[in-house]
Amino acid sequence: MCVGIALAWSELPTELIARNGLDRRAHERGGEREVRFFYRDRQPRLPIWRDGRLQIVRWGNGRGQSQFLPATGWTWQTTIEEGYWRNLEAVFVDIPASLGFDHGVWFRIRQGIRGILVPDEHGAAIVYMICEPASHYYQIMTRSTRMPVLIEERI
Amino acid sequence: MTARVRSPAVGHLDADCFYVSAERVRDGFLRDKPVGVLGNQGACVIAKSYEMKAAGVKTGEPIWEALVKCPEGIYVKRDFRWYEVLSRRMLDVARELSPRVEYYSIDEFFFQAVAGGGQTLQELALAIRDRIWDRIGVPVTVGIARTRTLAKLISDAAKPFGALAVIDREAEEKLLAGRPVTEITGIAGRRAARLAPWGITTCLDLARADRRQVRSLLTATGEALWWELNGDAVQAIHTRRPAHKVLSRGGSFGESTARPVVLYAWLVRNLERLIEELRFHGVTTGKLTVAIQYKTGHAGVGQRALPVPSDRFDLLLEAARPCLRMAWLPGVQASHMHLIAEDLSARGQYALDLFDPPQRRARAEAVALLKEQVNDRHGRFALRSAATLHLPAIYRDVANAYDICDIRGKICF
Repeated sequence: MCVGIALAWSELPTELIARNGLDRRAHERGGEREVRFFYRDRQPRLPIWRDGRLQIVRWGNGRGQSQFLPATGWTWQTTIEEGYWRNLEAVFVDIPASLGFDHGVWFRIRQGIRGILVPDEHGAAIVYMICEPASHYYQIMTRSTRMPVLIEERI
Repeated sequence: MTARVRSPAVGHLDADCFYVSAERVRDGFLRDKPVGVLGNQGACVIAKSYEMKAAGVKTGEPIWEALVKCPEGIYVKRDFRWYEVLSRRMLDVARELSPRVEYYSIDEFFFQAVAGGGQTLQELALAIRDRIWDRIGVPVTVGIARTRTLAKLISDAAKPFGALAVIDREAEEKLLAGRPVTEITGIAGRRAARLAPWGITTCLDLARADRRQVRSLLTATGEALWWELNGDAVQAIHTRRPAHKVLSRGGSFGESTARPVVLYAWLVRNLERLIEELRFHGVTTGKLTVAIQYKTGHAGVGQRALPVPSDRFDLLLEAARPCLRMAWLPGVQASHMHLIAEDLSARGQYALDLFDPPQRRARAEAVALLKEQVNDRHGRFALRSAATLHLPAIYRDVANAYDICDIRGKICF
């Protein structure tokens, strides 16, 4: 399960960093700053592209803030195809990411991850990461049975 | 080993952490970061950046051990098609600056170093390094010396992104004195252990040792190294790869297995790859060996001589099947398999088998040709044996369709 992502600092507008206090999530790797988003964070968040704008939204419903949304941060691609999200006003979004994090492994992501954005009963925007069964390579690398659906990329 | 060659100087070009550098050429995000390239279907680090090396990660290490040493490391999947593109571009640049270049391996070349137009050998080393960096973006180190062995030692010493020409004996000896004898290609643990009781621990010790004694300890191969260390070039630069004496295909399973049906699928996959290679080189094999490595550290080997040399799938599979049975340890997890073809002879230069009916031979030939044509047109392994259906994940991943050994023309792996 991809439980975290990292995005190069340079990919994020300064205003967005300030408004969301992202400097708390900043780390340095190889002399370059990046912002890390983990599901285990007290306030799990993910960046998303929606209507041409980069936003920071809540990642999943792991803390049960919503009574009717699934208490997780991921959804299967097949669940979407089966129409489970159809009546929840869900829209597809892109989660920009430079790296993914799964079972301690940081792996390169060229563009990002597919996500689905839904409003909860309080009107808050919640993003779920879309996943699919792990490829053989991904499974051996991370020992995970599921992997994120990457944008125009398959590893 | 070849006859003694008189050459003014020999160069050795070695790309710095080549696979990682190749990834960085197309992905600037990876620059200056600890990067590991994964092979064995994601199980092992087959190349690492200097940043990852500094954290203690070694080539060939399982990813789970690497993660402990370098938790900030970034892991990428190997892509030998891309590495070959860059390797051949580097080869082209080397050929612009040298009349004779040997494609030793994907990231290492030897070349005849000829300084022209008032240029020194040091300037030539710099020119090659800088031209490759400017045009291709791969950092390389270039060493120039009187012999191949010395040139390789010099480039190893000058890494990373170095360029160094050492021609005079005094400077050579200074360099040799500081390098352990194990840094010479061809001298590893066992050979070094044979030299140690005689006080030969550095490259300079070996160069100054008695030549006859070196020969008695390390055979003619060791003596050749002795000549080379003393500035006499005895190893030629091969501009074309000499004919193969042995061909092999195989490798790691990624995930170990004890299932006979999966082992058989690997046997068939490796055999199909081996036959491709036999047919490419226009040779047939007279002896087939199946070697299996097990997780317990045990190894199993099965070998069969063929009645007549062949490159035919049906005949080779008939020979490989009992080899697999011989090499198989029931219930033990196997991790690697290699299929080795020996006693190679040119195709068509052997007597036909009396017990191989002409109709069967003609049908097998027609099937082989059809398979080749379909795969040329629709992609490698588009048409393959149904036995390989037990490896769906391997065939689904296009990265497994092209391996380091599929890059042709190199002298060495």
